Amino acid sequence: MASNEQTPVLEVKGLQTSFFTPDGEVKAVDGVDFSVNSNETLGIVGESGSGKSITSLSVMRLIQHPGKIVGGTIELSGEDLLKKSKQQFAKYRGNRLSMIFQEPMTSLNPVFTVGSQIAEAVRIHKKLDKKAAWQEAVNMLKLVGIPAPEDRAKRYPHELSGGMRQRVMIAIALSCDPELLIADEPTTALDVTIQAQILELIKELQEKSGMAVLMITHDLGVIAETADKVVVMYAGEVVEQADVKTLFKRPLHPYTQGLMNAIPRHDIDLDELEMIPGTVPTPQNMPSGCRFAERCPYARELCVEKHPELATPSNNVDEGITTGQTRCWIYTDEWDGPNPTKGVATNQ
Amino acid sequence: MHIFILRRLLQLIPVLFGVTLVAFLIIQLVPGDVAQVMAGEAASEAQLEQMRENLGLNDPLVVQYGRFLGDLIMFDLGESVRTGQPVMDIIAPRFIITVELALWGMVVAVSVGLFFGILSATYRNTIRDYGTMTLAVVGLSMPNFWLGLLLIYWFSIQLGVLPTSGWGTWQQVIMPAITMGTAGAAVIARMTRSSMLEVIDQDYVRTARAKGVSERFVVYKHAFRNALIPVVTVIGLQFGYFLSGAVLTENVFAINGLGRLVVDAISQRDFPVVQGAVIVLAITFVFVNFLVDIAYRVLNKRIDLN
Amino acid sequence: MTTPLFEAKNLQKYFPVKGGILNRTQAQVKAVDDVSFAINPGETLSIVGESGCGKSTTGRAILRLDDPTDGEILFEGQNLMELSKSDLRQKRKEMQIIFQDPYASLNPRQKVKQILDEAMAIQGVVPKAKRPERIRELMEVVGLRPEQAERYPFQFSGGQRQRIGIARALSVDPKLIVCDEAVSALDVSTQAQVLNLLKKLQKDLDLTYLFISHDLGVVRHISDRVIVMYLGKIVEIADKKDLFDSPRHPYTRALLSAIPIPDPSKTRERIVLQGDVPSPMNPPSGCRFHTRCPFATDICKTEEPELRSTTFMNETHKAACHHIEKIAETEKTSIV
Repeated sequence: MASNEQTPVLEVKGLQTSFFTPDGEVKAVDGVDFSVNSNETLGIVGESGSGKSITSLSVMRLIQHPGKIVGGTIELSGEDLLKKSKQQFAKYRGNRLSMIFQEPMTSLNPVFTVGSQIAEAVRIHKKLDKKAAWQEAVNMLKLVGIPAPEDRAKRYPHELSGGMRQRVMIAIALSCDPELLIADEPTTALDVTIQAQILELIKELQEKSGMAVLMITHDLGVIAETADKVVVMYAGEVVEQADVKTLFKRPLHPYTQGLMNAIPRHDIDLDELEMIPGTVPTPQNMPSGCRFAERCPYARELCVEKHPELATPSNNVDEGITTGQTRCWIYTDEWDGPNPTKGVATNQ
Repeated sequence: MHIFILRRLLQLIPVLFGVTLVAFLIIQLVPGDVAQVMAGEAASEAQLEQMRENLGLNDPLVVQYGRFLGDLIMFDLGESVRTGQPVMDIIAPRFIITVELALWGMVVAVSVGLFFGILSATYRNTIRDYGTMTLAVVGLSMPNFWLGLLLIYWFSIQLGVLPTSGWGTWQQVIMPAITMGTAGAAVIARMTRSSMLEVIDQDYVRTARAKGVSERFVVYKHAFRNALIPVVTVIGLQFGYFLSGAVLTENVFAINGLGRLVVDAISQRDFPVVQGAVIVLAITFVFVNFLVDIAYRVLNKRIDLN
Repeated sequence: MTTPLFEAKNLQKYFPVKGGILNRTQAQVKAVDDVSFAINPGETLSIVGESGCGKSTTGRAILRLDDPTDGEILFEGQNLMELSKSDLRQKRKEMQIIFQDPYASLNPRQKVKQILDEAMAIQGVVPKAKRPERIRELMEVVGLRPEQAERYPFQFSGGQRQRIGIARALSVDPKLIVCDEAVSALDVSTQAQVLNLLKKLQKDLDLTYLFISHDLGVVRHISDRVIVMYLGKIVEIADKKDLFDSPRHPYTRALLSAIPIPDPSKTRERIVLQGDVPSPMNPPSGCRFHTRCPFATDICKTEEPELRSTTFMNETHKAACHHIEKIAETEKTSIV
């Protein structure tokens, strides 16, 4: 691939983040790798407890006590962020990489005007004076499509709707032209018509600036519409990784397949939703073998005993099909017999 | 905002009415005869009756209350039955001293309380936190007068650096202010701590960090401004307590404030003075609460809308 | 024609807004404004819409959890508005509700068996001696193990707690269950479990659902008929197939086109609505959607459209729009 020569904007290798509770260490993220290039959107999809949000907070180094990044590297355009001191990293945060969150209702400080909250970021990183920073804040509000930006800048968060507030969050995040934008469930709390506006806006701004986007979501629909590459997380690990078309055309991991068939669709009729039985294992009782084994319809002794690696399939893949990587024994040489997931109807 | 202030002011009217009524009635209920006090033990029944008539004590209560209110509006609180001086003239200088004392106490309580509250919250569950909170419990449990006596013992008797009593010079202010402020500081520190801990986990604090705001500004600007909202209420209440609780401190340090005046007036059965002092204190209390309400509004943008 | 199990006629729910110096009622939030619909026995009728459209308020109003401001609510022909509090409580055993957040609606200090027992005791439907047996049965019906009834709510996962919520609703043998965003807080895989359970229970127990949700995927999966609400009004009502295959109201169309489809190979024209939903305190005149509608003309600003059907629509399919015909026309030409 030609992109091999390009240094990724973000490269995460072997990331491990744990929470140290009185009951012991909880490994919320356990060895996660991925990378994003400029102008590219990487989607990280997973259900609650998958570790996707902890991963994004780790990249921003926003993990609070008792959580701690215990292993791995996080490189921004080749610089290891975990080696920076707190002071050094504060210069990057909000400047070269920034983040928007799920809850626009609570993510803005209620006692400051939205204009001053945007201007603050500008003043910190661009060293502008108060007046210039305010002007920049107004420009940003205009950029994110807020009508009457001069007036809105003087408003307090509670005076704006949820969609408007998320636009303000985007304005804050993009005010310093970051190389990387992390969007953690940016539209989950919003109505669909507003969600469409916000996703459109992010895409538009990405086209303008060429930033890399890390889109964290539980919604495969959002992934399908926004992402170029996808990482599927389950119980703190990456279980599948592929470009978006490949993933939706031929999901490999039984979890990914189950997830896709469990979504009720508004565009087609489904007789019955596929159910993934049981629940995500708790970090306290993490299986030593494949973490999905106890919910997997195809699990064998091998799966329960040995922990699979994330790898390109070497077995049980149809000729001529491009695939990503998956963490499943079925696609390894150790799997005896045919692929049991074959013919599993995905919705397409 | 203007509507809010106006509405609050209107609400003050019945409160003030109630306050004056209670102050008026309590004095009526207290055993003892004003006329007797004024006329002296040796007065005859006829003299007493004459005295009552002059004082209007024979009129129906309602009439007396009406007269009392009318006078009050003209800032006339009557005359002392002991000295015949207008009560207003007796109270005013004493009241100023007490307010000064309470304000200095507030300076101590607020600065020390906020400082330790924030310190405790930012070093949550560390030795600094535990140390501060232990101190707070001690400060809260220590009676005022006892702390005052300890301070006198150390600074005046042992070290000889501060005067034991009086009011006016800065040396005379230090120990009473500490005495007054300590318990308040403890209350404010505890409130600040819990309020900060609540705020520090909020999403918008995370947003501030994500913007690259330094940790110091995260704490003092983003978190503190929000944490202050409930603390302001506590500070306002403390000021009220300080005014009414000044009597102990005033006695320990022999300060001629309103508290001492009231104690003296009670023992001398100088009811108009007691009544006047109670009313002045109560009105101040109500007014301070009014200011706290407005401060709360100013700080808390969210409720401004309704 | 079947007689409906439930009927709402001209339902209104207004919330007063207080303010000013004397704290008088200054305005009304018209959360639900003149809404009528009927639910047939054994069917699932869904109400969809975005936040603030009045769908949850409708659900609460028809159970008189919040008393409606005006209108009639008929359950098996009986007007619930005329019932006294105690008669109403009797009637509640016929109509249960399941909420979005099962955790908030379960008493954390009670074991599951106590929660279920209490529900039955209040309605007096099952004699005390028979309740343990019934609890075991209910646990199995909702896919939990009977011995789990000895546990407290916090010992369950979100999906399991929602099952407990369902068990509690079922404990009194209701006819109608209002599901208010009942699966919205759940992860996709558990959501599928609960949806399938609801479907199965409906078949087995002959239940009727009023399903309130913002998720059109879920609604398509579970409903027979669908109501779309916008700013306190019904804008479209239709059989599921009609609604999803040939939506008539421009709002429904925009809503459907806004949902991301989990299939990157499908590209389609998206109608992105501009702006936010206006405040229900001061809704737009005429058609309430006209401020955001790409088809709006002068008549939409002044005249409120009736729910109606036209020649090319099924008679059960109704939309409240002045321009149904015109929009259908433009669609034909744009396809060619």
